[in-house]
Amino acid sequence: MSLSRYALRRLLFGAVQVLAVVTAVFLMVHALPGDAAVALAGDDPDPDRVEVIRRALGLDRPVLERFGEWLWGLARLDFGASVVSGRPVADTLVAALGPTVVLAVLTLVLLVPLAVAAGVAGALREGGPLDRALTSVTVGLHSIPEFALAIVLVAVFGVGLGWLPPTAVGVDVLAEPAVLVLPLVVLLARPLCSISRLVRAGMLDALASDYVRHARRLGVPPGRVRFAHALPNALAPAVQQVARTTDWLLGGVIVVEAVFVIPGLGTVLVDAVAARDLPVVQGLAVVFAVTTIAVNLLADLVAFRLAPRAAA
Amino acid sequence: MTVVRVEGLRAEARGRPLVDGVDLAVEAGRVLAVVGESGSGKTTTGMAVLGEAAPGVTVTGTVTVTGRVGFVPQHPAAALNPVRRLRKVFRELGPPEAVAAALRRARVDPDLLDRYPHQLSGGQQQRVVLAQVLVGDPAVIVADEPTTGQDAITRAEVVAELAEVVNQGVALILLTHDLDVVRALADDVLVLRAGRVVEAGPADDVLTVPRDPYTRALIDAQPRLTTPDAADSAPPLLRVAGLTARHRAAHVLHGVDLAVGAGECLAVVGRSGSGKTTLGRCLAGLHETYDGDVLLDGQPLPRSLRKRDRVAVARVQYVFQDARASFDPHRTVVEQVARTGVRLRGMTAAAARESALERLAEVGVDAAKAERAPSGLSGGELQRCALVRALLAQPDVLVCDEITSGLDTLTQAGLLDLLAGLTCAVVLISHDMGVVARLADRVAVLHAGRLVEHGPAHAVLAAPTHPVTTGLLGHTTIEEASK
Repeated sequence: MSLSRYALRRLLFGAVQVLAVVTAVFLMVHALPGDAAVALAGDDPDPDRVEVIRRALGLDRPVLERFGEWLWGLARLDFGASVVSGRPVADTLVAALGPTVVLAVLTLVLLVPLAVAAGVAGALREGGPLDRALTSVTVGLHSIPEFALAIVLVAVFGVGLGWLPPTAVGVDVLAEPAVLVLPLVVLLARPLCSISRLVRAGMLDALASDYVRHARRLGVPPGRVRFAHALPNALAPAVQQVARTTDWLLGGVIVVEAVFVIPGLGTVLVDAVAARDLPVVQGLAVVFAVTTIAVNLLADLVAFRLAPRAAA
Repeated sequence: MTVVRVEGLRAEARGRPLVDGVDLAVEAGRVLAVVGESGSGKTTTGMAVLGEAAPGVTVTGTVTVTGRVGFVPQHPAAALNPVRRLRKVFRELGPPEAVAAALRRARVDPDLLDRYPHQLSGGQQQRVVLAQVLVGDPAVIVADEPTTGQDAITRAEVVAELAEVVNQGVALILLTHDLDVVRALADDVLVLRAGRVVEAGPADDVLTVPRDPYTRALIDAQPRLTTPDAADSAPPLLRVAGLTARHRAAHVLHGVDLAVGAGECLAVVGRSGSGKTTLGRCLAGLHETYDGDVLLDGQPLPRSLRKRDRVAVARVQYVFQDARASFDPHRTVVEQVARTGVRLRGMTAAAARESALERLAEVGVDAAKAERAPSGLSGGELQRCALVRALLAQPDVLVCDEITSGLDTLTQAGLLDLLAGLTCAVVLISHDMGVVARLADRVAVLHAGRLVEHGPAHAVLAAPTHPVTTGLLGHTTIEEASK
């Protein structure tokens, strides 16, 4: 199967998935016991407020009509309005998307080369001091939970030494990049281990394979054997893990955003759930689902290119 | 002109000699075949000519080579990088003119270069590997088991290509246990046993009037293509009715009808990719996407292994082509063989172990070997262990998928004796017609997923009606193809 045919098939499948998720999110609201508006209004519902919410959610109209409207709204990126602030949900999401995406992209830009380099370096010197040091450090970092690492870093570098701003309170993340350094370190710590371990294992397998031995015997220079023959085979399993990490990052890592007070999607999610702001939660669910589907689609395409045999 | 001269070659691993005093010489445009069982030191000798040694092996002696050495590895599919198109790899190997010349010499169609290795047939992969080796313009080529696991038609192609390259003045050292290939190609033969040369000389002499008893045993152990006597067919035990099997959207079997009587041996033959293995997998419950029925004693067998109860699983057992891959590398062989008794016959662990050891000893795997991990056993030994593992279930039907391919003639003969002595029905999947002639009561020939011939072995082998059967029988023989 050619790459373009595979891409088309995956794309169609992705579109079906998105439609299914959107429908599920819509139905979720109606699966709430009793009246969603009453559930949302809190423990001591004020009838006026219930009425406001009911109108905002359109619960006074037939289901099919609302479903059609929901789909048509989504097509125009209209997620409705927040029942708390009354602002359009799309505006809230777009504002929060900025910091989350900046953080995710920066993390990936650092993560992928670092993890591949660490994995390759370890594999090329299997069992040597460098390999053991890399293994110890990455596994050590992986075993520290984000919140613990974040608090230690803030205490040491933010408060103790005062080298870096401890949190991003009241700062425009884009205007002052120094606030991103500590969050980036925390976000890198765990995926670095999982991805570099996969690259290392893949690289070891590839270096011991018949095709690498054959390439060496044919006189292909050692550098090319390692990076043009062995490495592409070693990357295929790591691609799926990078996709999982990307998905995790784009979901707004709640702990990191909370500790460093970054106004990203994670923060919006926590606030919306606390305030029972259903339209915002719905919007977030759709955004998260679409990112997950898109990221995995991309990963599948890359994996297909890297391992053309697997999907044939 | 002598291009390779090896004198007093010795190789040792942990004080144990692997090769002990081998001398050989090959001239340009000549073929030397190095034959012997697995573990006889063939590969170590070949590696020494390349100037390589396995880790932990010390090699002494002199190896003189005039010009470059090329190596054609055993499995071409494994030697080609699965994620790279061939054109880019060729570009790394040499200037375009040299690549074009090598492609011509190995008769590789340049259009194939835009493909990935998995998009080539076995014969094409072999030619591509040969072309890669020829880019370096070697004076001598060492080919390690170039025909292992190939069907008769591909095998004839491989032999023809190697003959062509030798005609161009390249010396060839052929490491093999395939005596047909030796007959077709070799000028000289060197017979190795446990690292020592037991016989050396011109191929015609060594193969027709072997002086050493070991050489004679190797030659005699080769199954001959004979026509078996007519036998009465038994009432059917296993029946396949209208089997149409799919892999995703592709149909790999079309309306196959077959029957196997109790205690009978049905050989399923055909080229690689003809659907033989899929048929075997349907019988064993390893392939579920099919229409039609597989009936045992008239009762349909559930399609999936998971839906078969222990009795049904025990009744139909399967032995895989790659014995090594069918064992867990981290547990001892006896432990894995004994699992059959525990899982399928409800024996206690101790009793299962005892009967496993007993049966293993009967096939020549002693307790000391059985206590090792699979890496401590040879391919032939592991295949016998795999057979015992299946037989401990006391099956009514045993499906054997190419279990003799890749074994030397003596090991193969031992395995065939074992199979011939079985009382259960055997479905033998093979493309080696010599093996089929030795064992089969009836033969079914598959071609492109269709049953093209089916009947008593004597009838099919003596008077084949379909061109594929004729081809597999080698009526277009290796000897003819190499001319």
